Order: sequence, then C-alpha cells, then structure tokens
Amino acid sequence: MTIKIAQLSCGTEYSSVQYEIEKAARSVGAKIVYPDVSAADIDDAVRRFGFTPRSPQLKLMIARAAALADEKYDADAVFITTCFRCAEAALIRNELRRFIQENTRLPVVTYSFTERLKASQLLTRMEALVTIVSRKELLARERQTGITVGLDSGSSTTKAVVMENNKIIGKDWTPSGDVIQSATQVLNNALEMAGIEMKQVEAIGTTGYGRFTLGEHFGAKLVQEELTVNSKGAVWLADRQRGEATIIDIGGMDNKAITVRDGVPDNFTMGGICAGASGRFLEMTARRLKIDVTELGALADKGNWRNAKMNSYCSVFGIQDLVTTLGEGKSFEDVAAAACHSVAEQVYEQQLQEIDVRHPIIEVGGTSLISGLVTQVGEVLGERPIVPPDSQYIGAVGGALLSSGFL
Amino acid sequence: MKVFIDPPNSLVLYDLVERFGHQPLSAMAAIQERVDNLEVDMPPMNVSLDDVVKGLKYAGVEVPSGIRGRLALWGPMIEEADAAIIMDDCPYSFGCVGCERSNLMVKYLIKRRGIPALHVSYPEDDEQATNFVAQTKEFLEGLQ
Amino acid sequence: MSAERETRLLMISPSSMLTPDQLVRMVHSFGLTVTVKETCYGCLIEASAETAREVLSRVRERYPNEVFSKVRAYRCSDPVRCRAQHGTRPGYAQLEEEWSLLPRIQHGLEEVEKGAKYVPPAEKKRIPVNDFKKICEAQR
Repeated sequence: MTIKIAQLSCGTEYSSVQYEIEKAARSVGAKIVYPDVSAADIDDAVRRFGFTPRSPQLKLMIARAAALADEKYDADAVFITTCFRCAEAALIRNELRRFIQENTRLPVVTYSFTERLKASQLLTRMEALVTIVSRKELLARERQTGITVGLDSGSSTTKAVVMENNKIIGKDWTPSGDVIQSATQVLNNALEMAGIEMKQVEAIGTTGYGRFTLGEHFGAKLVQEELTVNSKGAVWLADRQRGEATIIDIGGMDNKAITVRDGVPDNFTMGGICAGASGRFLEMTARRLKIDVTELGALADKGNWRNAKMNSYCSVFGIQDLVTTLGEGKSFEDVAAAACHSVAEQVYEQQLQEIDVRHPIIEVGGTSLISGLVTQVGEVLGERPIVPPDSQYIGAVGGALLSSGFL
Repeated sequence: MKVFIDPPNSLVLYDLVERFGHQPLSAMAAIQERVDNLEVDMPPMNVSLDDVVKGLKYAGVEVPSGIRGRLALWGPMIEEADAAIIMDDCPYSFGCVGCERSNLMVKYLIKRRGIPALHVSYPEDDEQATNFVAQTKEFLEGLQ
Repeated sequence: MSAERETRLLMISPSSMLTPDQLVRMVHSFGLTVTVKETCYGCLIEASAETAREVLSRVRERYPNEVFSKVRAYRCSDPVRCRAQHGTRPGYAQLEEEWSLLPRIQHGLEEVEKGAKYVPPAEKKRIPVNDFKKICEAQR
C-alpha cells in the first residue's frame, strides 16, 4: 500500500527542494499528492478560514487543507511546509496545522525549509508519518508480552532494555561509539542483569540513528524511527497510555516535541539546527564548570538563572556568555541554572511553538535526568513535567514493547 | 521588441503581446530552459541550488529561499526586456507567482530598469476589458 | 527538438461555439508535423517553434478573437505536470481564472477592431472627511 501524503506548501519548487521532499517520501514507501481544488474553492476556503494572506499560494494551501477537512480529497497524512524566514507563511503553516488537527484525524508534520534541505533531513519525519498510518494496530499495543529486547542507538548514548511480561528486567546504557559494539555491550549487560540468555529472546526492536545497522545485525523484527517508538515508550513508562499528552525529549543532537492521543503521535516537531538548544550545550557547560553532567542538575536547582543571564541560541555564543558570566564572578549554581534555563527557553521557542502543548507534559530522554533542566522546562511552560522512572530508556522500552507485537 | 509580462505566466498578457507583434518574456520560457536541461535532474522544475544562490544578486540571504529562486528566474528576463506590461490588481496569481513579496520585488525591478512599462488594471466588465485591450494595443504599437 | 521545441496551449474562449474536438481536427487538417492533444479547454500542440507559430496563425485566420495561446514549459503529457499523477499543480487555478476572463477579452478585441480607443478612467478620489461627516450626520 502506498501511503498518500498531502503536501500543503509554498516555495518548494523555487527553492529547489520539491525533488528532495518527493525523494524522502518515496524512500519510505509514500507518495506526495496535492489535494485538488478549483479556483472557486479558493475564495470560499479562505473566507471560511478567516485569515486572508497576501500571497496567493498561501490561499491555495488553505483551500487544499479545506478539501482534506471536507473529505473531498483522500490522503493518509499531511505535510505542511513553507520557506524558512517567511513570516506570513509561518503564521499560515501553524494555523493550518491546527485546522487539520481540529478537523481531521490525519497525522500532520510541519517544516520550514531552506534551499539546503536534503531528503535525509526529512526521512525520520516522513517515516513517522508512514508508521502512524500503516502500523496503527501495532501502535495501539499497550502491553509487552513474552521476552523482548529494545535497542536505542542514539547520537549520544546507546541503550538496551530487556522486558518480560510487561516488566523491565534488564537495562544498560553507554556513551555511543561504534554502533554495533556499543549496542552489543549494553545488550549483554542488560541480559546479564535480567538473567536471560540471548537465545531466549523472542523479538528485538531497534530505533535511533543506528536502527538500520542494528536491525540488520541482530535480525530485529522491528526497525522503526524514534518518534513513534519513543512516544510509546514514554506513555508506557509514565502510565499515560490513554488520553492526550505532550512528550518532550531534549536529545544529544536533536529535540523532539510530540503530541500524542492514546499513545499515538498526531503531531511532532524535531529540531536539530542548533546545538545550543540540545543536551550538547549542557555537556559543554558541565565541562567548563569541571563537573560531571550528572551533577549539573542538582547544582542548577540551587541557583537562580536570573542572576546569570545566558543565551544559548548558538552554542558558540552560549559558551562565550558562560565564560563572561564566570569571569564576572557569578556562582556556579547560578550559571548552571542559567544554562538549563537557556536550553528550556530554546526548546520552547523553537519546538513548542509548532505544536499545541497538551497536558500532562512528559519529559524523557537522558537530559530528563538533569533535574535543573526539568525545573526550567517547568518554569518556562508553567507546569512541572512528569519524569517517569527510567526516562532515558524510552526508545529501548518502546522497541521492546512494540516488537512483542510480532510474536 | 522583448516585452516582460507580469504576472509572468499570464495567458492573457502573453497572448496580447504576441498578437500585437512583440516577443513576450514569460515564466514559461525560463522554466522550459530548465526543464529541457538534461544535465539537471531536479524535477518538477529543475530549479537547482545554483539558481537559488544566483538569486542572491537580487535579495540577501535573510530573504526566504522561494523568493530568491523566483527572482533568479525572472530577474535576468527583466534585465533583457525592452518594455513591460504589468497587471496591477490581478485576482489570480497562483503557482509561479504565488508569493506576494516576490511579485512586489518584480514590479520594483521593472521600475528600477527604467524601461517603458504599462500598468493595466484587471477588467471587471466588458467596458473595462475593451479599455484594457485598447490600452495594451496602443502601448505595444507605440514601442519602436 | 529541445532548443526548438515549442509546446503551446490553445485555449478556446468559453463564449465561443468552437469545441476542442473541432479545433483539434482543424489543426490536423493543416497537415503540419505537430503533436496535438485535446484538452477540456482546447488543445495542446507541440512542434518546432516555427511550425507551432504557423499553426497558431492559421487558427487565428479562422478564429481571430476566440482562441488564445501561450507557450508551456512542459512537454505534452509530461508526467511531472500530469494532474492524474499528483493532483492539480499550483498553476491550474490560475488557468481556470484566466479561462473565465477570455469572453471579456474577446469582446475587447472585437470592439478595438471596430475602432474603440483607450479612454482613461475617471480617477476615484476619497471624499474629504468633512463631507463624510455630513453624510454620517444626515443619517442620524
């Protein structure tokens, strides 16, 4: 079955990125389509929508969204994309995303591109759209059965989890090095902890950047992108499998903000342009403070970010701020708090603006163990996020849970 | 003479310019040049990264890529044109001319070139249409 | 044929009695080396630039003011632009709008042939605030 992804866009052809978008879609077994509208539909749709942009192509986007909402055009998922730095398009992009979510059950992803966009940057997003459509039943799975393993090969760390009858019985993590070697190490340790031998394992699920390599090496039954896998892991760990939630995962290289309905993502954003808004910045801060990153959170919780203003919009400038602030004699506690606040603010500005935050907020991933960061995310959002136990293992847990669906 | 039309993909303007004896410079020609270029494989339009970079001649890097890509196509034609016809209040301008900021810049580039330029209004009834055709004809016939 | 290739839309004004089928048959009857594809609005022709213009001028001899034309960047039946492959491309709505304007342009061309001249329209000015105030007061 070819999944039809409806593209609502402005500027893709003249930015030389349309080809890349179609290539990304093709590589995950999907096809880009344009909902049919006639000239007469455009005026009606814009009037109904109530926002009249000056650019006609944006009006066309509105009409195409209306065709999807009215079920006049059949598609499985929606991709909304416009030029980076266009204010008019950014407003329409976000409001159309909301309109699609309010009026359809189609999964949607938004993206603002530059002319440098390559298909590989869209792969995970497109793959997630396809997974949500084509693996509906699998994603509805709420209990793990049998003995399964989840492997999460992330940009910073590699994690393994062994599960048996809906319980975690073994787990381990290590900083990522060689993809297969790191995974083998954590897998062996997790199996040892569980008291299980490899031959007893009934299924393996892999996710993260190294998922394809690991999937092939270990003969995994499930090889799936981290957006859907992490969502399942997060709601399972937080015991929020029903209803709505927002999952925030501040990763080593990119950040994810995902809204879920009954554990299945319906909108997500992924950032990755800026190291300043990721866990990497906190690692750099810890190194400069000559402490381990695991100590940064507790230190930050003792400080006040207002005493040491820092801007991590760019990690280079952020570190410059850090050096200046320390030079001014500010306390390590205040500086640590300011670094956490800066990352939280960046995530808010860059990711959370593109989704409608739903409650509860579940914060996961390795950085959720840095309590000072969780405090700051809570301060920025006005609500302290839930951090479930084993929150750094979401990907591995999701992999183990979903792969049991193949038994 | 070479007459740039704005909107650059307009059927009506293209037809009238040709009908009254001149060569229209249009979006279609700029795109055909790329579509027929077998060395580039970037369908549907074969607008390449190089084109978007060339657009920097008309607008800085802080300007969205879609605008620079458009200007890279229309800009050279405006430079080549001897005259221009601009429909000011065109109610339809999708696709090639879907970005209002690019459209404003195109009008400005024509003005800056200082070539003879006729601004016409979109006709709303038969009387205005007659006026529009007469005005366009007189302008085109007056071009030496 | 790439450098020379010319693909053209021939669009019939909606107020014309000419049908796409008749137009296609007429183009075939010229006996020129041209590919013709019937469409809902008229036809697409593809030939060398010289032949394509020959076709247009012969069509114009017969139907001077009711067939309109512009070149097209894409070849006839190019799957990249085919509606059946993806749904409508962005320019489709514009063509639809221009098609509906053609009867007025046809009328304009006929009038100009009869000698109509351009008459600058009366300039519309906004009324002075005091005049507007008086109107508002009169409405009380």
